[in-house]
Amino acid sequence: MGRTLPSITQAFLQEQESFARFRRALRRSDQLALDDLFSAAQRHVAAAAYASHALPFEIFLLAMLLEEHKQVMRLRQLLHDTWDE
Amino acid sequence: MNENTGWLLDLYPDARAGVVLWFVGEDGTRYRLRQTFPVTFYVAGPLPELRQVWRWLSAQPVELKLARTERRDLFQVQPVTVLAVQVANPAEQPALFNRLSRVFPHLTYYNTDLQFSLQYAAQYGTFPLARCFFAHDEAGNLQTLEVLESRWTLEPSHPPLRLLSIEPDCDPQHAAPRTLKLRYEQRGEGASERPVEYCFDLEPVRPLLANLAAVLRRHDPDILLTAWGDTWLLPYLLDRAQEQQYPLPLNRDPGDPEGLFQPRQPARREARSYFSYGQVIYQGPQVLLFGRAHIDVYNAMLYHDYGLEGVFELSRVTSLPLQTSARTSPGTGISSMQILTALHNKVLVPWHKQQPEDLKSALDLMQADQGGLVYQPLTGLHRDVAEIDFISLYPSIMVHFNISPETVNQHCPTASRVPELDLWIDQEAPGLVPDTLAPLLEKRIRLKERLALLPAWHPYRRAYKARASAHKWLLVTCFGYLGYKNARFGRIEAHEAVTAYGRETLLRAKETAEELGFTVLQLYVDGMWVQKPDCKTVPDFQPLLDEISARTRLPVALDGIYRWIAFLPSRVNPKVPVPNRYFGVFQDGSLKMRGIETRRRDTPPFLKRLQLEMLETLSELELQKTGQGLDLTPVLRLLHRRLKELRAGRVPFTDLLVTHKVSRKLEEFRGTSPASRALTQLQQVGKLFEPGQHVRFLYLRGEPGVHAWDLPYQPDIKSLDYDYYAELFARASASILQPFGVDEVTLRNWLFANAAYGAPPGVLPPARCRRVPLLAGILPATHARNSGNAVHSLDALPALC
Repeated sequence: MGRTLPSITQAFLQEQESFARFRRALRRSDQLALDDLFSAAQRHVAAAAYASHALPFEIFLLAMLLEEHKQVMRLRQLLHDTWDE
Repeated sequence: MNENTGWLLDLYPDARAGVVLWFVGEDGTRYRLRQTFPVTFYVAGPLPELRQVWRWLSAQPVELKLARTERRDLFQVQPVTVLAVQVANPAEQPALFNRLSRVFPHLTYYNTDLQFSLQYAAQYGTFPLARCFFAHDEAGNLQTLEVLESRWTLEPSHPPLRLLSIEPDCDPQHAAPRTLKLRYEQRGEGASERPVEYCFDLEPVRPLLANLAAVLRRHDPDILLTAWGDTWLLPYLLDRAQEQQYPLPLNRDPGDPEGLFQPRQPARREARSYFSYGQVIYQGPQVLLFGRAHIDVYNAMLYHDYGLEGVFELSRVTSLPLQTSARTSPGTGISSMQILTALHNKVLVPWHKQQPEDLKSALDLMQADQGGLVYQPLTGLHRDVAEIDFISLYPSIMVHFNISPETVNQHCPTASRVPELDLWIDQEAPGLVPDTLAPLLEKRIRLKERLALLPAWHPYRRAYKARASAHKWLLVTCFGYLGYKNARFGRIEAHEAVTAYGRETLLRAKETAEELGFTVLQLYVDGMWVQKPDCKTVPDFQPLLDEISARTRLPVALDGIYRWIAFLPSRVNPKVPVPNRYFGVFQDGSLKMRGIETRRRDTPPFLKRLQLEMLETLSELELQKTGQGLDLTPVLRLLHRRLKELRAGRVPFTDLLVTHKVSRKLEEFRGTSPASRALTQLQQVGKLFEPGQHVRFLYLRGEPGVHAWDLPYQPDIKSLDYDYYAELFARASASILQPFGVDEVTLRNWLFANAAYGAPPGVLPPARCRRVPLLAGILPATHARNSGNAVHSLDALPALC
């Protein structure tokens, strides 16, 4: 209601929608992985909104990388702990 | 000359008397006094046209005084030259202005459509139920009026009021009532009479009217508290009285004593539906009385939130009459307060405001057009979490940073810059909005401080809470009115400045918390949820509170410490957290929940209660520190018991009712939603619903699938769609159990397939009962199997381990 700009969630969904053709052509397993990436980005929409970047997709890409890196850190820690035992 | 002390009950303009004022005297007498009180409005425009207006007005058959003067328009830098039109009798002003604005539609008008009580309040400082000293002559003309208490006092005097409640035996929308229950009682200081109760049949009509008239004359109530009085009772009684030619003294004002005029009739207003904040709101018809206040508990805005005490408080701080403040939204309340400040400061109040938004670039717009900061929480279950709230964040910002339509965007030496935005705010003189809000905010903070000190059993607690809640609604809406471009004192840039300060404040609070080693679980506009190992008591969090208020310069409070709190993910995508869906148990055992079914209006009462019971059962279980999860057997036992009740048909219909708000007219519905089918049923029996009203129905098997509750007959108990209710049952319980590691599939197996409850979730069941569906867990071991939750693991895990 009465918005001059799309909300960040709308912007996010638009970006996701714009990759629909790309997603469709992927294998099912790859589609699921792609969905995971978008879910990861969606967890940071608040920060993306605050950034109010002219190209929000850059922020979403960074958010995906961020979550990926968190996973790497977590796995690294797990490996580390296993070796210690 | 008679001198008295008492309380002001009501005041309104009167064609003959000027102003009529009603006082509740300390001696128990009700005084009806008169006073002449001229009101002034202003016209601005090109001088030749103003001269024409002058000539036109002089020719009107109305007693008035004209003068040329200068006044301040908030949206203009220089004072404006205006024509001041003083009308001797306030009752004649609306009609005169109506004619004038039609003859001269292009001029700018000020102070034309103000609530009369505000104009009176601006001069005498009055407000409803104010304790006053008043003197009058034998003819009932008011000579002196002095208000003896401030509207900002925390301990207002309690006038001895006579209260008559009238209630039909059932909801008139649902079925035709047969009897009326009446109860008379006294409230406030020196209440001595015992309550009296009556019960009258609605038919035959004449004895009913005679009895009602006798009760009204005998007790002469100050307040008429009715159930469905606006929408059904009073219109019904007035129509019957007219048919029977029987005068019903609902009004206390006898009208003209010499009998030259007809006795005053109660004022009736039509029902309307309107849009507000993207929601359609239905306001029922209204019946307003003269000389006593009529309050319909079902047509009073937010009555369920703050009751009669809240209505009184709303009247006190806004100066709106009791009947008006009970029915208007808090938004009207806050704009009335601003008008009062404007009248005090001799600032013009525009009639139709034309204030365009300043030009800005697309990039500026992207940065400015944002709301509050809303984070995505770390989903899952967390222990020992503190909720820290800024006290009335946006109003505090407006007061502290002097944000008001006339202070924004003034590039002067005394201006300070808004964070992130290219906006400047003049700090030299307090603006109109901060000026209005400061005392209200202060009163609220003092009230909250006092509330915090009162023990739970204290008799004042309820009244304090009601008043604090009334303030809360006023303060909540004041922000919206600042940004609404059609509000009289609204301006988009002021609104943007407030949200920018809000985001800055919350981010500073987040940075502070993280610097002090806390984990920030969630940020939500004006609240923050934090946790830190070994921080469990109020003193543990005090340094953080002190540091936040030092850095943001705004008041913060510890709302409470949760034993545990669960932030829920989205229903659609369990990997995505949603901002405002959580529940938790405070250390004192009280519950707080947002966004789950029990808070939703369309949830049947049975399921609302179920969720509450589940939470209460859970709150009694102590979370074990080892990360072993919980033994959920008691919750499961409860679920099985309630499900059995549902299936056995032991849940009454009223507990299974689903309530939907009607969003559009029946013919505008495209699909056939359950609500539209219920509306069609009602239309067939001649009951029409307007947008904004609520329709209640039951789910049935087969076609049409619903039964509208307001139909004149009840459905067969066997036709209820128990399967659908069981589905809703499963969803409602899944919301609660999800953070405890029970996914929906497991829960359904437990509920419907009688799967055994092998072990607390999160623990691998022993080998012999491996056939039990594996439970989604919160331990790393089970996490790997449950890929759905893998994304959260890094954040959610440390919470319990």
